[in-house]
Amino acid sequence: MQRIVVPGEKIHDTQIRIDNTITDRNGTYSCILGYFDDERKVLTPLEGLWNPRPGDTVIGVVEEDRGTTLTINLNAPYKGLALTKFLEAEISANDIIVANVKVLEKGGTIVLLKPTPLRGGKLMSIKPSRIPRIIGKNSTMIKQITDATATSVIIGLNGLIWMKGGDIDLATQAILKVGEEAHTTGLTERIKTMLEQGRNNKVQ
Amino acid sequence: MGGSNKPELIKDGKRLDGRTPDMLRDIKIEVGVVKNAVGSAYIEWGNNKIIAGVYGPKEALPKHVQDPERAIIKCRYAMSPFSSLEEHGRSGPNRRSIEISKVTKEVFENVILLDRFPGAEIDLFVDVLQADGGTRAAGITAASVALAASGIPMTDIPYAVSVGKVGDMLILDLNKIEDNYSDADMPVAIGPRTGDIMLLQMDGNLSRDEIKKGMEMVKKSGEYISKLQKDALKLSYERILEKYK
Repeated sequence: MQRIVVPGEKIHDTQIRIDNTITDRNGTYSCILGYFDDERKVLTPLEGLWNPRPGDTVIGVVEEDRGTTLTINLNAPYKGLALTKFLEAEISANDIIVANVKVLEKGGTIVLLKPTPLRGGKLMSIKPSRIPRIIGKNSTMIKQITDATATSVIIGLNGLIWMKGGDIDLATQAILKVGEEAHTTGLTERIKTMLEQGRNNKVQ
Repeated sequence: MGGSNKPELIKDGKRLDGRTPDMLRDIKIEVGVVKNAVGSAYIEWGNNKIIAGVYGPKEALPKHVQDPERAIIKCRYAMSPFSSLEEHGRSGPNRRSIEISKVTKEVFENVILLDRFPGAEIDLFVDVLQADGGTRAAGITAASVALAASGIPMTDIPYAVSVGKVGDMLILDLNKIEDNYSDADMPVAIGPRTGDIMLLQMDGNLSRDEIKKGMEMVKKSGEYISKLQKDALKLSYERILEKYK
């Protein structure tokens, strides 16, 4: 059974170790607005910012070219930083890039590896807490969307999504729907129906 | 405090607006009213109408205010120029609004897990659109809902309510006229999970026993306020869940 929990709400009578919780003598309490699965003991956030971890794929917009470094807006509490001497392609200010997080420095700068520019296409933003659901288990959800719309999609874990080619409007609608209904069950089926209907409408 | 032409605040055991001494005004909370904010809430508490909005966490600027160990909170409480009939409704910072911003900020420093965001700032705005006494309590209640809705990790959702004294009688949730002419006024903010007191201010005089009794009234009403806050937070998500049951 899944239920929605708010900060300070008891989720278990004993002390169990889960992300985003605190414990005291009487049990375990949630620290976030999320949904809790009693059987699997998983607390999934419904809101909140991206929590940077090394290896994460992110999409950002280059803010400034400082000669030796590029500062990148990542839609996060901290700025991204990439060293220009390791660049494989030419990148200038206002370019959209995809990169991997190398390390999170103590001062709060996110150092990025291998920034690659994304030319053309469309950039959309969505709540970062909904990204895992958009990707789905073993990427099933996003694969379903890309297969049906023939759009190439790159997802940044920081909540930015870049799309190009194919039926972009349908793909956007599908992604927005997944984001809105991330905490419900049977979503894969509903998205499948939605994509089929969208394609049929186009054929007619 | 008591003026020369003090109105009779309690008649036949009932207050001017017909409430019994331990009765709250009607409260309505709504979440997500400001689309651009990360989290927001609107509260109608009697005739008080307040919007709270949360932005961030984001890089704290100017840089010298950054704390390398934890995030900082910037809180701004403000009354709209049209919110009240008296001088409270001046816009711009004044002695009173600076004080309330400070105490509101300190309430939330107790519950937000600030060490998750070193060097960052969280902006909290509390704007009073219409005022009828007890706006700092209503503002804190709305701000905690807005913070929870923004997904910022916090250990509790505090609520606040004021308790006061008229003659020998303790009254809960003072409105403007009671606030102006009562013998004492004590706003209290409490974290319902632990019962920790996060704000306690007092205007006027209360005895030790009266404070004890007042706190009991606050905690009793707090169960109701707390439930309203949690229900408001869950509402939009449960609506979507209901749709696909």
